[in-house]
Amino acid sequence: MGRAGTATTGVTRSVSADGEPLVDVDELVKHFVENDTLVDRLTGTEPTAVRAVDGVSFAVHRGETLGLVGESGCGKSTAGKTLLGLQEPTDGDVRFRGESVYDRSGAALAEFRREASIVFQDPFSSLDPRKTVGATVKQPMDVHDVGTLAERRERVRDLLERVGLSADQFDRYPHEFSGGQRQRVAIARALVLEPDFVVLDEPTSALDVSVQAQILNLLADLQAEMGLTYLFISHDLSVIRHICDRVAVMYLGELVEVAPAGGIFENPRHPYTQALLESVPRVDTTERDRDVVPLSGDVPSPRDPPSGCRFRTRCPEVIPPDGCDLSQQAFRAVMDLRGRVENGTLPVGRLRTELGADGERADPEAVAERLYDRTVDRELPADHAASVRDALRAVAEGRDAEAAKLLRERYETVCETTPPTGERAACHLHED
Amino acid sequence: MVSDRTKRNLKAELRESALAKLGVALVALVLVAAAFAPLLAPHDPTATDPGNASLPPLGFSTTENQTTSEMVDGEIQVVEQEVQVNATASHPLGTDSVGRDVLSRVLFGARTSLLVGIFGTALAVALGVVVGLTAGYYGGRVDDGLMRVADVMLAFPSLVLAIALIGLWGRQSIAIPDPFVRLGLAPGMPESAVIPGTVVVVVALVNWVWFARVARGEALSIRSAEYVTAARAIGASDRTIIREHVLPNSITPILVLATIQIAAIILLESALSFLGFSGANLSWGLDIAQGRDYLASSWWIATMPGIAIVISVVGINLIGDWLRDALDPGVDQGEGGV
Ligand code: SF4
Repeated sequence: MGRAGTATTGVTRSVSADGEPLVDVDELVKHFVENDTLVDRLTGTEPTAVRAVDGVSFAVHRGETLGLVGESGCGKSTAGKTLLGLQEPTDGDVRFRGESVYDRSGAALAEFRREASIVFQDPFSSLDPRKTVGATVKQPMDVHDVGTLAERRERVRDLLERVGLSADQFDRYPHEFSGGQRQRVAIARALVLEPDFVVLDEPTSALDVSVQAQILNLLADLQAEMGLTYLFISHDLSVIRHICDRVAVMYLGELVEVAPAGGIFENPRHPYTQALLESVPRVDTTERDRDVVPLSGDVPSPRDPPSGCRFRTRCPEVIPPDGCDLSQQAFRAVMDLRGRVENGTLPVGRLRTELGADGERADPEAVAERLYDRTVDRELPADHAASVRDALRAVAEGRDAEAAKLLRERYETVCETTPPTGERAACHLHED
Repeated sequence: MVSDRTKRNLKAELRESALAKLGVALVALVLVAAAFAPLLAPHDPTATDPGNASLPPLGFSTTENQTTSEMVDGEIQVVEQEVQVNATASHPLGTDSVGRDVLSRVLFGARTSLLVGIFGTALAVALGVVVGLTAGYYGGRVDDGLMRVADVMLAFPSLVLAIALIGLWGRQSIAIPDPFVRLGLAPGMPESAVIPGTVVVVVALVNWVWFARVARGEALSIRSAEYVTAARAIGASDRTIIREHVLPNSITPILVLATIQIAAIILLESALSFLGFSGANLSWGLDIAQGRDYLASSWWIATMPGIAIVISVVGINLIGDWLRDALDPGVDQGEGGV
C-alpha cells in the first residue's frame, strides 16, 4: 500500500505524553470508487471517488473514550470500520499496540480480532436472525477456540446476565427481543473475548430515547469493570458529552478539531464545532449565550470537496482577504453568492424568460439587477455592490467563468487557498 | 435450525390452504407406496403370467378375439369369436401385455422415481449450493468464472446432455437390498430396489445450475448484511461465515426450489426411462414406453404409471407452493419492536 505524501490537512496528530497510544490512526484515507462499470472502463470515463475519509489522524489512549462526532455522511462510521480493517483502506495506516493493522495476518491478525471489537448501530441487522442469541454471543469463542464447550456456554450465560439479560434466554432468537435487548446481545458479543478496544458505532441512535440512557450506563459500567478503551462514534453531541473523555470532530472526511471533552463543550474553537454545539438543545441554561449563527448552505458533495478549508462554503467566520472592509455577515453573503456563480446555480435562465417578454431577449442589465435583488439580501458598501453587479452582469451575459474570476480576484480568502492545520482545531483563525 | 415461528407459519398456511393439504396427501400417498411397496403389492411386479395378459382394470372390460376349435358333427371347426374379458380382483389395475400386475409395477415404480428424485436433487443441491454460495460471496472474478460455467450448462438442452453423459458412462445401477424381503415379511418380492446411478448423476448435473443461481443471488445480498460484517469483525473465516451465516440465511428459497426440482427430476427420470436410457428395471417411464404399443387395445398399461407421475409431480409442486408461501422471506424480517 502506497503511503503517498499527501499534503497534511486537518488536525495535526499530537503524541501524548503518556507513551504509545493503544490505537494510532495515521493519515487514514478511504475512498469509495463508484461508476467503475465495464462501460466506464471501456469508454475511459474516470470513476468518481467518494472521499469518505480523507486523511484522518488521531490516537486513542488506553482506558479513555474518544468520541468521533459529525453529521451523518461525514465519514465517521467509515473511519471506524476502516480502522478495524473491515474495509480496505485507500491509504494511510492504523497501528494497534504499535503494529500495523493492515500488515497483520495469521496469528497477529487473530490477536487483533480478539482484542478489538465493534458494536454496530442497528441491532436488527447486526444479529443473524437464524442464530440464537446464545450462539451469537458464543461464536467469537468458537472462532478463536477459547475454552471447552461447557466453559463457553457458562461464559455466555454469565455475560448475558452481566449485560442485563437472563441466562435462560440463551436459546431465544433475536426477533423475540426488543431493540434495546438486542443491542445488549450485540454488546455481549463484542465483549465475550475480553477485548481492550471497542468501536461503538452509533450504538444508541437506533434505540428509543428511554433505552439510550440504559445502554450508555451499561457501556460506562462495563468500561470501568473491564478496563476498556472506546472509540465512540455518534452524531449526537449530547450522547458524546455523557461518555467521552476526548472528542474528535469530523467534517467531510477530515478532522476539524480534537480536544478534551471539557474544551470542546465549554470552549469550542473550530467554527464548525461551534455551529454543531448550537444545534444541540441546551440542557444547561447557565451556559453562556453565543451568537447563534445558523449554518448556511448544504454539505458539499464528498465527491468534490471544496479546496482549502472544507468548511469554507458554510463557515460563518470565513476570513475576508486583507483590506476587505465588509462586515462578517456581508462577507459570508458575498461568499455564498460566489459559490452560486461558480457552480452555476443562479436562476439566470428563469429570469431571462421572465423578463424577456414577447420572445424578446431580456436585457442583461435588467437580469443582472434582478439577480442582485434576489441574491444579495443586505446593504453592501457602494464599491462592493459595484463589483458584485459587474460580476452579475457577466453572468447575465453568459460569461460565467469571467464572473467567477472577477469575484475571486476581489474576494479570494485564505480559507480557500490554503488547507488549515492546527494543534487542536484545523482553522486559520486558530493557527498558532 | 427450524425456529418455532417457522413451524407456526407452516402450520397456519397448511390450515388455510386446501391445496397445501392436497399436496401433503398426494405426496404421503406416493411415499407410503414407495416405502411399503413389497407389502402393498399383490404380486411380484416382475413375474409374467401369459395366461392373464392384458387384463383390464377393475370396473372395465375389454373384448378379445378368441379362436376356439369345436367338434361339430365329427368335424373340427375353428370358430373365431369375440369374448368379453373381465377384470379380476387379484389384478385391480389390470395386467400388461405379458401378464405382469400393473398395480404392483406402479407401486414399485414409485421407489425408483422417488429415489432418483431425492438423490438426484440432493446431489444437485450440494453442487449448486457450493458453487452458488462461493460465487455470490466472493463476487468479482470468482463469480464471473463460476457463473459462466453454469451458463454454458444451461445452454445445453437437458435431455441431450443426459443422453450424452449416459453414452459416456453407460447405465450404472446400484441395488439396495429390500429390508422387508430380507426379514421375510414379503415373500416372493424382488430382493432389491435398483437405483439407476448414472441417471442420478445425470439429473443432478442437468439441474444443479438452478440451485447455483438461487444460492448465488442469496449470497450476494447476504454478504453485505451487517451480521456478516460483525462475523468478520470477530475474525471468522470466509468458510465459517458461509457455513454459519450465508447458508442458513439462504436455505429457504433453496428448499422451495428443491421441492419443485424433485418433481422436475422425476419427470426427467421418466423421460430417460421412456427412451431406454435408465438402468432401472421398474420405472414408470419404462412402463409407459412398453404400454405405448398397446394404447389402442390396453390403454391402462401406459395410463396407470402416467397417472402416478401426475400424482407425484402435482403433489410435490403443491408442497413447494406451501413451503414458499409459509417461509416467505418477507415474513422473516422486520418482526419485533424496538
Ligand atoms: S479556516 Fe476559514 S473557513 Fe475554515 S473554519 Fe476557519 S475560518 Fe472558517
